[in-house]
Amino acid sequence: MERADGGQLGPLPVAASATGSRDTGPAAAADDRWRWFRGQAFWLVAPALLLLVVCLGLPLAIVTLRSFSEPQWGWQNYVWFFGTPVNLTVLQRTFAISAWVTLVCVIAGYPYAYVMTVVGPKMRLVLILCVLVPFWVSGVVRTLAWVILLQDSGVINSVIRSLGLGPVKLIRTQTGVVIGMAQVLLPFMILPLYSVMKAIDLRLLQAARSLGASPARAFAQVYLPLSLPGVYAGAIIVFILALGFYITPALLGGPRSTMLSTLIQNQVLSLLNWGRGGAMGVVLLIATFILLALAAPLSRQPHKTGSRRQ
Amino acid sequence: MRIRIGQGIAFGLLMMTTAALAQSKPVAGEVAEGSLKGKTLTFVSYGGIYQDGQIAALKEFVDKSGVKLLSDGPTEISKLQAQVESGNVTWDVVDTGDFPPYVYCGKLFQKLDFSKIDTSNIPEGQISECSVPAMNYGVVLMYNTEKYKDNPPKSWKDFFDVEKFPGSRALEGSGDLSGGMIEQALLAAGGSVENMTVADIDKAVEKVKSLGPDTIFWKTGADSQQLAESGEADMIAMWTGRAMTTVKNGAKYTPVWQDWLVVMDQMTIPMGVKDADAAYALINAYVGKSAQETLAKTTSYTPIHKDAKPQVDEVTAAFMTNTPDKLKLGYQQNIKFWVQNFEVANEKWNALMAGN
Repeated sequence: MERADGGQLGPLPVAASATGSRDTGPAAAADDRWRWFRGQAFWLVAPALLLLVVCLGLPLAIVTLRSFSEPQWGWQNYVWFFGTPVNLTVLQRTFAISAWVTLVCVIAGYPYAYVMTVVGPKMRLVLILCVLVPFWVSGVVRTLAWVILLQDSGVINSVIRSLGLGPVKLIRTQTGVVIGMAQVLLPFMILPLYSVMKAIDLRLLQAARSLGASPARAFAQVYLPLSLPGVYAGAIIVFILALGFYITPALLGGPRSTMLSTLIQNQVLSLLNWGRGGAMGVVLLIATFILLALAAPLSRQPHKTGSRRQ
Repeated sequence: MRIRIGQGIAFGLLMMTTAALAQSKPVAGEVAEGSLKGKTLTFVSYGGIYQDGQIAALKEFVDKSGVKLLSDGPTEISKLQAQVESGNVTWDVVDTGDFPPYVYCGKLFQKLDFSKIDTSNIPEGQISECSVPAMNYGVVLMYNTEKYKDNPPKSWKDFFDVEKFPGSRALEGSGDLSGGMIEQALLAAGGSVENMTVADIDKAVEKVKSLGPDTIFWKTGADSQQLAESGEADMIAMWTGRAMTTVKNGAKYTPVWQDWLVVMDQMTIPMGVKDADAAYALINAYVGKSAQETLAKTTSYTPIHKDAKPQVDEVTAAFMTNTPDKLKLGYQQNIKFWVQNFEVANEKWNALMAGN
């Protein structure tokens, strides 16, 4: 089992273990070449690594440095951050909104991705297009479309009113922000989910059924655990992207749904306070890391049991 | 060291050109034929119709002087700061909001030499050490005429009185605080704007909060227009340009001109520009009569030349803020106070914007 799992990672380890068992004859030269190639393989990541270091690592280092060095060296910007109640409220709210968005994406994305795996190729193409088209539309345009849908005199409320129910406050509320953000981020949930789900052998479900499991039990004990890696991958991407959202909360939300990015923007662009803006960014980054570290064991566990059951 | 050399060169240039220009006093809108041939100027503003109109207003200047005019933007003070700090300033003339030239005068923006700009036709009280106005506009109280039929609001005091004038309110929440708005809130709360203190800001913020949880803080001009045209808010504090457009689009809203808030954009020259004299020439041409008329015609903003008489339609004319009757009703914020307390005021306003 372990071997087979390792084999899925890529051709290189397989080749290495296969040649490793034979150490004489002409294969030895090929073996050497392989070893050399494997040693050099690192350079294949160099362009991406360079891009990351120059475009992400360096600016991040500068921002972190400035959060300690401006206006003087010290912890002042962090003392300010944690000493100002509004910052903590907004930080907590940023995580809460992101969690809600992630939850909505899981609930909406899971059945969608499942349907994508069971329909015919033509229908699948349509479903994939439905997911991808919003990707090609500017975020601002999409958000403005939501303004028209969600506002008090908007489409959704006129439907609700025609049903004889009172108007529902959607725009400038957290609900509105969560709806808008979930729509923008849904593809990031559906695509990883789909890639995991399409690899699940549906005959496993048939096997479970033939062994007497009810459909619900077959889903809960066979399909769900196998699909969980996709859920975790999607959830982490959605959650992290949601933390940095700026346009959607600004246009769909009110003061009570301001997220941290808006406060950072204010500090840097209006007040030229790079120190405080940097400190806010660093706090958000570290808080995210802590959260991911806490979630990591969670995401590893089912993967293991899942493969053991395989 | 680099800065000191840069300053030295700038100073030297300044002395040389002052001597050269000593004989000829600049006239607004005029530039010598071919005087800037082979030179390039980068003009930075907020984009959209506004910047297009500004470029159109500068066409005569470009044609006559032979300068190559580049357009960049939108204006971001943080970007300008990065340019000035790195000693590589590529923005020659920058259009900014009302506060930055006061807050960063001598730091990011040059103290202007007014022997190089003809300021004689600019309305009083609009010139600062580091800026001349780029255009004028205002913030007016727009109200829904169908909602407040016989009992319309007449002032900002009524705007802040939700008991006598029930209904939803919308005001600007686009980022930078509006000093004039906070002062009106303070007045409505029974405070005084004479000798304002930091505690008065709290009082004003409380007054804004008293408008209730459904108060809308619009983020962009288009946003505010949308609020009026869909009837989402019964009273809206709006930029005059946007107010005009909503009226043209048929929204049943009408302005209250009592104490309309005077706002302006500013023309500035950043520290360390390569050719300050060319930048001065641009600004001097920009404040000229015909340039200002073109600007008003294309953007519907109010010109900053006293004698400018742009040919505009009736509705646009109704929202021009430079007529004597409107000038009488305008309210000028205490710029000095807001500049002195820029940081603390922003912090309090941003806390309100963040729902605290």
